[in-house]
Amino acid sequence: MELELLQKFITPIHPLDKKEWEAFSAIWTPFACKRKTVLTASGETEKHLYFVTEGVQRAFFIGNERQEATIVFTYPLSFSGVADSFLTQTPTPYFFETLTASKFIRTTYKQVEELMNEYPGIQKLILKTTAFALKGVLARQAELQCFSAEEKFTTLLKRSPHLLQLIPHKYLASYVGIDPTTFSKLMGSVRL
Amino acid sequence: MKIRSIELIEQLQADVRQLILMAGYLQTEDTRLLTLQPATGKWSVAQVLEHLNSYNRFYLPAIEKSMVQSTIPAAQWFRAGWLGNYFTRIMRPGTDGKIGNKMRAPKNHRPVLTVDIKSVMQEFTEQQRRLLSLLEQAKEKNIGKIRTPISISRFIKLKTGDTFRFLIAHQQRHFVQVSNTLKQVKDREPRNEYRTRNKEHGTDESVLSSFIRVASLIEHREV
Repeated sequence: MELELLQKFITPIHPLDKKEWEAFSAIWTPFACKRKTVLTASGETEKHLYFVTEGVQRAFFIGNERQEATIVFTYPLSFSGVADSFLTQTPTPYFFETLTASKFIRTTYKQVEELMNEYPGIQKLILKTTAFALKGVLARQAELQCFSAEEKFTTLLKRSPHLLQLIPHKYLASYVGIDPTTFSKLMGSVRL
Repeated sequence: MKIRSIELIEQLQADVRQLILMAGYLQTEDTRLLTLQPATGKWSVAQVLEHLNSYNRFYLPAIEKSMVQSTIPAAQWFRAGWLGNYFTRIMRPGTDGKIGNKMRAPKNHRPVLTVDIKSVMQEFTEQQRRLLSLLEQAKEKNIGKIRTPISISRFIKLKTGDTFRFLIAHQQRHFVQVSNTLKQVKDREPRNEYRTRNKEHGTDESVLSSFIRVASLIEHREV
C-alpha cells in the first residue's frame, strides 16, 4: 500500500524500470510515531529518508533571542527528514519533529547510497528529487527577502491552501516569518 | 512486562532528543535568569543542569565500558528488572508532568551556586549527544544481559537497559524542575520586562509554555 503511494509519487519525477523499482521498493520499513516526537535533534546526522503517508512534520531552527524559524513542512505524500544532513551526512543545526501523529516508510542513507551506486536510474531519481527541492528552496528564499508580510501570506495560501486546515497557524506564521498576531489579522482581512 | 528492545531504545532516543530541544530553548534565555535561585537554597537552572552533568560524567563512561566489553548478541525483547523499574518509577514525573515525591541529592551531586552557565550548558548538550550515540550502539547489544553498576555502589548493577531508562527519567524529572524554576525567577522580575520582550520578537510561544507542553508530553511508561 505505502509502496504503491511511493511509486505513484516518484514516477512523475523519474520513472524507474522494473529491476530498479524492485531494488528501490525493498529498502523501506514502516515507521509510526505520536505527535510532537523529535525524530532528529540538532547536532545529529540524519540517518533516515522518510516517505510520509500520514501526518504533518516540520524542520525548525532555534535562534538566539527566543526566535524559532520553521524551515519546512512535510505532509503526505512527500519525502521527509532533514534533507541536507541526509544527503551530505554532516550534522544538522535543525530539529525535525512531528506536529501530528504520523506514519511513514523510511530507509537509511547506507541503503540509498548502495542502490545509487548500483543503479544509475535510482541515482537519477535522487538527483532530480534534490533538484526540485532546491528549486523550492530558492523560490522561497526570494519570497522571504522580497515580499511583504501580506504577499508572503497570500503566496503561501495560494500555493498550498490545504495547509490552513493541516497546520496550527502559529507554525505557519513562523514559516513565513511573520508575527502570529499579524498572521491572524491577515487571516481576517486578506481575500484569497 | 516486556517490550521490544528496539522499541524501547527508540523511545529513549526520542526522549533524549526532546531534552536536547529543551536545552536548545534554554540557550535562548537570558543567561542571568538561569543563574538565579528561585529562593535561598533552591537550585538555579544552572545548578540543576550541573547536577545532571555530574551523573552523566559517571554513567556515560560506565555504560560505554559495560557495553564495549560485551559480545552477547542483541535480543528481540527486553524485560525490565524490579530494581530498574523501581528506580525509573520514583524518578519519572507523573502523567500530569508534575513531581510528586521530593528527594535530596547525594552530597557529591550537589552543585555549587557559582557554576559557569555557558560551560554547563555546553557539557549538558554534548553529553546528551553522547547518550544518543550510546543508545544507537545499544541496538547491537544485549541490554537485558549487560549490566552497569549504579553510582552509589559498584556492587549493585542494573541491566543496562534499565540504567538508560532510569538515567533519562531522572533528567526528565529535573527538566520539570527547570521549567518551574524559570517560571519562579521570571515572576520575580520587574513586571513587564519579559512579557514585552516576548511580544517584540513574535515567538510562536514563550519558552516557558513550550516547556510545560513538553513536560506534559513526558509519558508514563511501564516496562
